Amino acid sequence: MANEHTLTRPTAGDPQASAEMRDAGALGAEGRPVEGRGPVTRGVAGEGRSSGGRRWNLVVNLLGIVSVVWLLAALYGALIWAPREATMGDIQRIFYFHVPSAWVAMGPAFTVVFVASIAYLITKDLRWDRLAASSAELGVMFTTITLITGPIWARPIWGAYWTWDPRLTTTLVLWFIYVAYLMLRSASASGHKRARLSAVFGIVGYIDVPIVFMSIRWWRTIHPQVIGGQDSGLDPSMQAVLFFSLGAMTLVYIYLLVVRVRQEELSTRVERLRHRFYNR
Amino acid sequence: MDGIGFLFAGFAAFWLALGIYVVSLGWRQVSLLRQVERLERELERAPQ
Repeated sequence: MANEHTLTRPTAGDPQASAEMRDAGALGAEGRPVEGRGPVTRGVAGEGRSSGGRRWNLVVNLLGIVSVVWLLAALYGALIWAPREATMGDIQRIFYFHVPSAWVAMGPAFTVVFVASIAYLITKDLRWDRLAASSAELGVMFTTITLITGPIWARPIWGAYWTWDPRLTTTLVLWFIYVAYLMLRSASASGHKRARLSAVFGIVGYIDVPIVFMSIRWWRTIHPQVIGGQDSGLDPSMQAVLFFSLGAMTLVYIYLLVVRVRQEELSTRVERLRHRFYNR
Repeated sequence: MDGIGFLFAGFAAFWLALGIYVVSLGWRQVSLLRQVERLERELERAPQ
């Protein structure tokens, strides 16, 4: 075979190789290799050795440091600085991490999945698919935190870890939807077919997000309404700590998203290299 | 368990979940970097 053991990129003239590479996102729609997505460039995706790459690494590392410091400051605010709640006592301090986790999951994380899924279906650019997958994973992680911290807070206040309250139930359903999304992705081979399927799932699954948000308005519930609620009645210092924690958690999400997206790019690179290795 | 106990459990759960995720992310990163390195080495070694 003419191109056996070759280290060069498959060309547009090699139909089988081109189809495989296009499916992996290395070739553009017209069959030409896409800049920055080629399989043979040295180094690691997102770990460029150029000054631009190094500067980007520095920005990402700085973002990581700032988010950790901010998160620790939010922990100090929640445990020490915020006043003790009169009715619930110290257990109410979980609120400063429970609400921001729920906010990050249902606000930025799943909204990014929704928007990136639409963007993928329009552009057929796999970078949108990688962004959606990374954000979904983070959304599941933050929803898990919400579903763990919520019952721990509920036990001493409601007398039970779990009730089939509309807010709790719809949040659990949301968690199952995005766990299914991740399972679907891990069960299918990478490429445009998986991306298309995931995008549709990501768009349909997002329907539950407004339902979770509106559940405490639509149905009778024992879950407190924090945002825009009549009974929130938060002290200004408590509000300050809550917004500070919201900022910290959002920054942690942004940092982890950047890291996760780069990892997805690295994973795509490994797949391409493996493909070339086994097709030498 | 009193309020402080539940509070401690809540924060421990938060940091544990975040910690597990970050460690798994780091583990995956190291594993992928090793794979890239190994595959590139193998491909370079392959006859032209």
